[in-house]
Amino acid sequence: MPMIDQSAGKTGGAPEGVRPRDRLALLTADNAAVPLPAGVQAITAILLAGLLIALPWLGLGYRFLSIAITTLYTAIGLYGLGLQFGQAGIMSVGHAALMGVGAYASAILSVQLGLGFWTSLPFAMALSAIVGGVIGLPTLRVGGQHYIIITFCFCALFVIVLTNGGTFTGSATGLDVGSVTPLPGINFDKLSNNYYLVLAALFLALAATYLIGISRYGRTLRAIRENEQLARSVGINVDLHKLGVLMVSGLFAGLAGVLQLYYLRHISPTLFGAFPSLYLALMVMLGGARYLYGPLIGAIIVNFLPEVLNLEPVDARIAYGICLLLVILLLPGGVGAGIKNIYLAIRGGLETQGGGSNGRA
Amino acid sequence: MRQLGLGLAVVAAGLAMALQTARADEELPIGVIAAQSGSFVSAGNTIVGAANLAAQQINDAGGIKVGDKTYKIKLYIRDNRTDVNVTIAAARELVNDIGVKAIWGTETHDFSVSMAKITGPAKVLQFSGNSSLGAVLDDKAVAEDGWLHYTFQSEPQEWQRSGSTAKGVLSLLTPQLKSPPKHSVVFVGNDATGQYLSSHYVKALEAEGQKVDLVQYPPDTTDFSPLLTRIKGMKPDIVHFWYNGDSTLTAFPQALKLGVAPSYFLFGVDPGIYQERSLKADVPVTMSCVPVCWGSSPYPEVKQYFDKYFGLGAAKGPQSSVSLLYYDYFFWYAKALEKVGKIDDPDAVVAELLKSDYKGVVSPVPLVFNKHHQVTFATEVCMVEPNTSDKFKCAVEQPPAAPPPGDNGG
Repeated sequence: MPMIDQSAGKTGGAPEGVRPRDRLALLTADNAAVPLPAGVQAITAILLAGLLIALPWLGLGYRFLSIAITTLYTAIGLYGLGLQFGQAGIMSVGHAALMGVGAYASAILSVQLGLGFWTSLPFAMALSAIVGGVIGLPTLRVGGQHYIIITFCFCALFVIVLTNGGTFTGSATGLDVGSVTPLPGINFDKLSNNYYLVLAALFLALAATYLIGISRYGRTLRAIRENEQLARSVGINVDLHKLGVLMVSGLFAGLAGVLQLYYLRHISPTLFGAFPSLYLALMVMLGGARYLYGPLIGAIIVNFLPEVLNLEPVDARIAYGICLLLVILLLPGGVGAGIKNIYLAIRGGLETQGGGSNGRA
Repeated sequence: MRQLGLGLAVVAAGLAMALQTARADEELPIGVIAAQSGSFVSAGNTIVGAANLAAQQINDAGGIKVGDKTYKIKLYIRDNRTDVNVTIAAARELVNDIGVKAIWGTETHDFSVSMAKITGPAKVLQFSGNSSLGAVLDDKAVAEDGWLHYTFQSEPQEWQRSGSTAKGVLSLLTPQLKSPPKHSVVFVGNDATGQYLSSHYVKALEAEGQKVDLVQYPPDTTDFSPLLTRIKGMKPDIVHFWYNGDSTLTAFPQALKLGVAPSYFLFGVDPGIYQERSLKADVPVTMSCVPVCWGSSPYPEVKQYFDKYFGLGAAKGPQSSVSLLYYDYFFWYAKALEKVGKIDDPDAVVAELLKSDYKGVVSPVPLVFNKHHQVTFATEVCMVEPNTSDKFKCAVEQPPAAPPPGDNGG
């Protein structure tokens, strides 16, 4: 599991010569900061990309592909949330509303001005980023649970405004849009093409997240996350960086919202209310906000679990709750952390078998 | 021994013939997408129940004779879990993976609209009961190249239902009150369906001379007492609960405890469920059903229908009568297929549905689709006597000829 948290060097459990008792600690530790070899990162990325690209060719059916599209655009929104929570430590439970800003901006531009997917996309993303920044202003004065409550209130307010927005927002009935404007030779009405469009956006989100994670900017965000006062004392402009990451998060959310809009081709306020927002927070915690593939893993778990186990909504919520409890108790870094830890444990074991008490051949 | 051999030969020949007959029956795949779990389960269950009963009856009667072949309906029922993403995935599966010829469902406006964007391009017929589809079913949408050309609304236009309901409620309640009712409060869930329905119902009540106040509650509300207390302060003659039966069954007892009004109207609550739950009120209470009510209807064919419907294991829900918005259309669709003589010509089936009619359980007069793919039929309104759970007085109200002033139809 490639990491995006490289600020502190080897702060997690080291795989060298671990005793069995320590093995459990290793498996449950948050090893986000433990760097993986570049080869492992590259192989993981290639395998994952290959699998995702090949998905429509595996004959899994349209139902599977539809849920895969839902999973991917959700994951794109989660990468924004992952950045602000995993890197900067700012949690939000109103992230679906930010996606809604993007989706509604694009839909309104389509209905009112006739702008299509490609032309409305940058405006929608920019508006989501601006709104993300505006909501983030209170974080300059308050943090933690106070900001979480603010995001929840924003979410509720957003739904109320949409529901009572008359013909401009389509009220509770919502708004309709046409198909994604075709590119030469590519008609996005075809489900597999729609999938590749969302997949391309996911790759962009993944690449941006990775680059931010390994950049000076990412390290600065993590410094703020770990100790805001200390970061401020060493001359970091904390306010600017906080607003910056919330705006970047808004960009991701806007992109996800527009993709959602053009996949469903009909949106209504309920898609961006409290429940969808809580689900996004749940997904990012389940998957692991500090891990590159954590948000994607979280989206896969929440979208596919009811499908695979044929769970009713109430049963699914119970299952999510149990999963979240297990993750908090056993894998505080999320499932992404667990997968990485398994790799580290196997590597440690192999290296121990290979010779030397220090685990190195 | 010889007799035994002869007997075996006869049995074998019989089996072979039976197998041959079975082989002669082709399968007509039909999809059903409905909430069998989640918050819309009460409405969703009615679609599944109606589909199961209709398919069984059609198959038991020998199937559908199309050209020189006989088709038995094979239902593919998918639970949308009251989730639009699952609805879309299910629609994709039914249309693209299975290749159904028609889909019945869903129970929600948003879901039906998103689904129509999949069924339309694939030329799969869609029968949805949402009257709110009237907001999008227009000349352009239902044209041959329109995105709703293959979608049919199996519920009357909302101004028609609202008009007949308002008239029926007022005519039943007026003799029960000390003075003719003048002030109505419409209490409705603030979601897509609620907004659409109440916009028409308010106009219909105003057309009947009522002063109307609209009070909306957020979807999924469970404690209605603050809003009901506010309504009590308005001193209404009638409180009209629209539209979600489950919410109404939660709010209505709270209203009775608070003594909010001297009379009530409960939309989306069948007399049958009122009786099942032994609800009682010391004031007159009315209910309405489109098309006819479960639990009180005097018509033998309606009683027979509900006996068979529940006999097949359908759940007794607040809006079981809604199943009739789906049941008759299976037979009508089968009739259109037989007339067209092909199952792979959806355009011809659409044309046939638009020019034909069907006399089903729903209405004493045959059902007809208008040019916007909507049907017209009456509404049954019932009143339960105060302090009883099972003494109903019902009347069938025909829809008005035209929308009331200020209502643009739809």
